[in-house]
Amino acid sequence: MLFSSINFLYYFLPCVLIIYFITPAKYKNGVLLISSLLFYFYGEPIYILVMLGEILSAYIHGVLIDKYKKYKKIFLISSIIISLGTLGIFKYSDFFITNINSLLKSKISLLNLVLPIGISFYTFQILSYVIDVYKEKVPVQRNFIKLATYVSLFPQLVAGPIVRYIDVQKEITKREHTFQNMSQGITRFCIGLSKKVLIANQLGELSQIFLQTNEKSIIFYWIYGIAFSLQIYFDFSAYSDMAIGLGKMFGFHFLENFNYPYISKSITEFWRRWHISLGTWFKDYVYIPLGGNRVGKIKLVRNILVVWMLTGFWHGANWTFILWGLLFGILLIIEKTFLLEKLEKMPKFLGHIYVIFIVMISFIIFNANNIGEAIKQITGLFGSNGEELINSYTIYYLKSYFVILVLAIIGATPLLKNTVNKLKEKIKIRKIINICEPLMIVILMLFVTSYLVDSSYNPFLYFRF
Amino acid sequence: MSDNVKNVIVTSIFILILILFFLINLLKKDTEISITERRKLAEFPSITIKNILDGSFEEKFEKYTTDQIIKRDEFRKLKSELELYLFRKKDNNSIYMYKDKLIKIEYPLNEKSVLNATKKINEIQKRYFSDMKCYYSIVPDKNYFTNNSEYISMDYEKLQEIMSENIKNVQYINIFDCLNLEDYYVTDIHWKQENLQKVVERISSKMGFYDRLNTPYEKKEIIEFNGIYSGELHTKVEKDKICVLTNNIIEKSSVYNYENGKETQIYDKSKLESYDKYDIYLSGNTPLITITNPNAKEDKELIIFRDSFASSLVPLFTEGYNKITLVDIRYMKAEDLEKYVELKNKDVLFLYSTLVLNNSSILR
Repeated sequence: MLFSSINFLYYFLPCVLIIYFITPAKYKNGVLLISSLLFYFYGEPIYILVMLGEILSAYIHGVLIDKYKKYKKIFLISSIIISLGTLGIFKYSDFFITNINSLLKSKISLLNLVLPIGISFYTFQILSYVIDVYKEKVPVQRNFIKLATYVSLFPQLVAGPIVRYIDVQKEITKREHTFQNMSQGITRFCIGLSKKVLIANQLGELSQIFLQTNEKSIIFYWIYGIAFSLQIYFDFSAYSDMAIGLGKMFGFHFLENFNYPYISKSITEFWRRWHISLGTWFKDYVYIPLGGNRVGKIKLVRNILVVWMLTGFWHGANWTFILWGLLFGILLIIEKTFLLEKLEKMPKFLGHIYVIFIVMISFIIFNANNIGEAIKQITGLFGSNGEELINSYTIYYLKSYFVILVLAIIGATPLLKNTVNKLKEKIKIRKIINICEPLMIVILMLFVTSYLVDSSYNPFLYFRF
Repeated sequence: MSDNVKNVIVTSIFILILILFFLINLLKKDTEISITERRKLAEFPSITIKNILDGSFEEKFEKYTTDQIIKRDEFRKLKSELELYLFRKKDNNSIYMYKDKLIKIEYPLNEKSVLNATKKINEIQKRYFSDMKCYYSIVPDKNYFTNNSEYISMDYEKLQEIMSENIKNVQYINIFDCLNLEDYYVTDIHWKQENLQKVVERISSKMGFYDRLNTPYEKKEIIEFNGIYSGELHTKVEKDKICVLTNNIIEKSSVYNYENGKETQIYDKSKLESYDKYDIYLSGNTPLITITNPNAKEDKELIIFRDSFASSLVPLFTEGYNKITLVDIRYMKAEDLEKYVELKNKDVLFLYSTLVLNNSSILR
């Protein structure tokens, strides 16, 4: 079920909210668990068994690690094998079979398994729990319902952010339900919903128009690069906004996942602001265990490349994703070696241009079906496919989507947020803003509903991970 | 307003919106048809273990809740207004306004599709009419008249070039210069019957039945109507009117529909009850009909392979023929034609709009 759907907004969510808030505190987790399982079952009727199996495995391994400390490493390894093995079978088996077949000229048949929604996200949540129990950073959870609620919590189940057990362990047991939490959650959810439906989906339409036409021009390649980079940001950060907002409605405080990444002045900074929960997960569970920064130069390069290759591979079983990850790995090494220092001395706008260009190229690779297509689209930016500079088709769609593009560019910066925060410092204006907020919620809900009723394009890009 | 009051109001309003929508949608009676979209709305899907497990229930339920939401038309209207006035988009669902007319983008030219249409025409001509005089004509869609504007339109010259280069033994009658944008409805895809005099003159003189069209027409206004595009772009536009041109010959002629075996008049007023008022002309889209004119001066017959544009044009040919058969190969196979109709000694006309030629996979 998509958050941006009539089903979710006007059927699922009101029912869950009513039942949740009329249920006594000690049964609230049960309500959340059943709602989350229903939410998942609605999209993945059969694969819910895979998720439940993984939760059960994590639960048992957690208890065993805690109980038999002498053998805890064995239980940790066994848990990791089960979690990553399941992910591997569903997500990567056909990738490996295809590559083995083309290398060895063998004819192993593909498994053609459908990827269970959200498996990459909940696998990482499960791993964080088991590893943290192993490291004794968190106490084992002996209540299966609580652990299952943590893993399957519907706000963040299918597209993150990757919430770590350590961050919500207290709230799983006891959380506060206040009008302040609720109101902040609602506002955040509505902003996310609007970002997704009013901006990201429209940028998605523009990207699709580009991909489907034979009438490309050099300018249209650039418009596509910009539109897709903005689409993926608005799509994914909107999902995180909605997840964080929904979490707050139910009393959870998830960590932020995005912090205006497009205002970064270096790729290092970009990755501190983009998909923060994934970046910190890889840092804490892969990079640091490999030795992190405290190793020799060669090992450091190895560590960075391993982490970024895995980051790319996490996004999808395709060489384009590996290339995408490695591109960032190499750039981060270059920045660490000398570029970061130079960038700091240069005028700020040069850093911004560098980041935006690199990120745009990276997302063109990210969205391409294969490396050949990615190369064609990147070289198209410079006219090497023989297209004209601009044509009437490009002009039409540039004009048609101009306002959306401008709104998206402004929305990708903290300009609006900072202005509102600044204005809120004055008590009188704060009161006026407080009057406007409920009005804004009503208007946004109406706008979003109108687009949901009459739109053909409404996918979530990160659902495929 | 203090922060605390705001928090209570935001929470209450949001919950109220969700619950109201939930309850109203739950209690409201389902709507069967969307008139503005010209389609049946989704019904509540049947619940079986099989369709729940294979995901088809979920898919259909989503379609159902979106289709049956309360005030659906108003929401669609709001969306089209946001597209045009807030986001300043040039079109909504590919519909735009040009010189007060609503037009659907048809772009780009699909050369393969046009080639496919020429193949169909050649096949039919070779199969049935190799010893008869055959003609073809192309009805330009509204986009043709927006040439050189900021809107995009297909290459109509290229389309005509492909047609003329590939169609063999069928003579082209060009009617592009007989039309302008005013000859089309404001809110609909079609042309207005009352503006087709030049087209009738051009085709009838080229095909040699101009001299047989002698009786003047009386123009009757029948009804106001909202065309197919009116539900997509909710801007203020003039309402369209269905008018018919009629005379004694037309009124005394009858139409036989081979599909349902019914006989009707050329202007089928029972169709004014349906959501597409344009169906008044020859009862709308149907595979095979014959117009019989008992007052024909000569025993001449015409067969027309056509789309919906012919429905309003062909009544104006009635006086020229004893019988006119209209074949729509979107709904029947041309190979089946000989089962129903005698195919000797006929004038033959292929009359297709650029919209069908550009999407010819719908031709069987």
